[in-house]
Amino acid sequence: MTIFDWQSELNRDGHRVVISGQPIAMHCHHYNINLQKTLEETLGAEGVQLLYRSAEETNYNSLQHLFNQYKKIRTLKSKLEMASLLFQNCGLGIIHFRKVRPHSAYIASSSSHHVTGWLAKHGRRETPGCHFTRGWIAGALEVIYQRPLGFYIVEERRCKMKRDEECVFHVKER
Amino acid sequence: MAIDVSKIIHAVMEGSKIRESKGIIPLFGVYLSLFSVYYYNRLSFEFEIKMGKQREAEAKTLLIEAAQECGYATFQGIRDSWEWQQVVAPMVENKKDQIFGFVAVAVAFGWGDLAVAELVPGQKLVLRASDSYEASGYLEQYGAAKSGKCYMLRGVTAAFMDLVYGGDYPDGCFTFAAQEPCCRVKGDPYCEFIAQRSSD
Repeated sequence: MTIFDWQSELNRDGHRVVISGQPIAMHCHHYNINLQKTLEETLGAEGVQLLYRSAEETNYNSLQHLFNQYKKIRTLKSKLEMASLLFQNCGLGIIHFRKVRPHSAYIASSSSHHVTGWLAKHGRRETPGCHFTRGWIAGALEVIYQRPLGFYIVEERRCKMKRDEECVFHVKER
Repeated sequence: MAIDVSKIIHAVMEGSKIRESKGIIPLFGVYLSLFSVYYYNRLSFEFEIKMGKQREAEAKTLLIEAAQECGYATFQGIRDSWEWQQVVAPMVENKKDQIFGFVAVAVAFGWGDLAVAELVPGQKLVLRASDSYEASGYLEQYGAAKSGKCYMLRGVTAAFMDLVYGGDYPDGCFTFAAQEPCCRVKGDPYCEFIAQRSSD
């Protein structure tokens, strides 16, 4: 089933790069990981929260925009599939929505831009570090279940940055 | 031969549509991600706000240095890549052309309509943008400001000079430093970035 035509959604609008008309920037792992490290080291938990909330809010708005454009995507399954496709096609990695319910969810990621980037630049870390992906998941599920921003909390129970086999995220209501 | 910006943009756009099986975009020697400019702007500007008035200068320095360090590593990877060798290198005749090539890649990445306004080899680089995503995002979210807000582009401008005129990689980073005397958030018609040797 063709959910949406990714190739035609990624375009240029003059000097801007857009996905479905929304401006995006291409950045590499050096910048994304440098930003994460700067925020974590300078602001601690507040910096982690800023990374999480920024990804949550941004993905909430982006997916909302896409679902408004693709009105035929109505079922939970197709919405989750579209979200995974978006994650993958934005070069963010692979995400598996393994068990998703309105009040809780269990999600895994076998590969991600942030994990690859962190390990390439800094090697193994002691604590879970996929704050971006946690926020991204929260925003996605809030749109899919039509909940307000901040409705879900996403915890990372296992993380490949710690050399776990995969990243595992648990979602619950705040 | 002049640098053909449209050729570089085309190569980046085509390359960014190719993913390997793990959902990673390996392009121009780096792992690329595509994400909303809103995310990057929110991170930078909320970081600055959270640092507060007392740590405002520190916040700016950290953001600029993060970008400069990243720009240095990123564009070194780009310059070493197979794609650069295939697409850009045939157009590069001298060191100045490398800078023009870097600027074309930055435009291709969606960072803004950057253009070289002045380049004095080994001494000075002036870039201008009338629509950087940082200034546009700041104006949209927060309105006008008294100082420049394009921290990423400021760091990257210096990184371009570091790579071309700052000595052998990886020792040349921070040989240059950049200022942003004009920024659209201050009411200027364009944002301007001037990189000069750090000791100047």
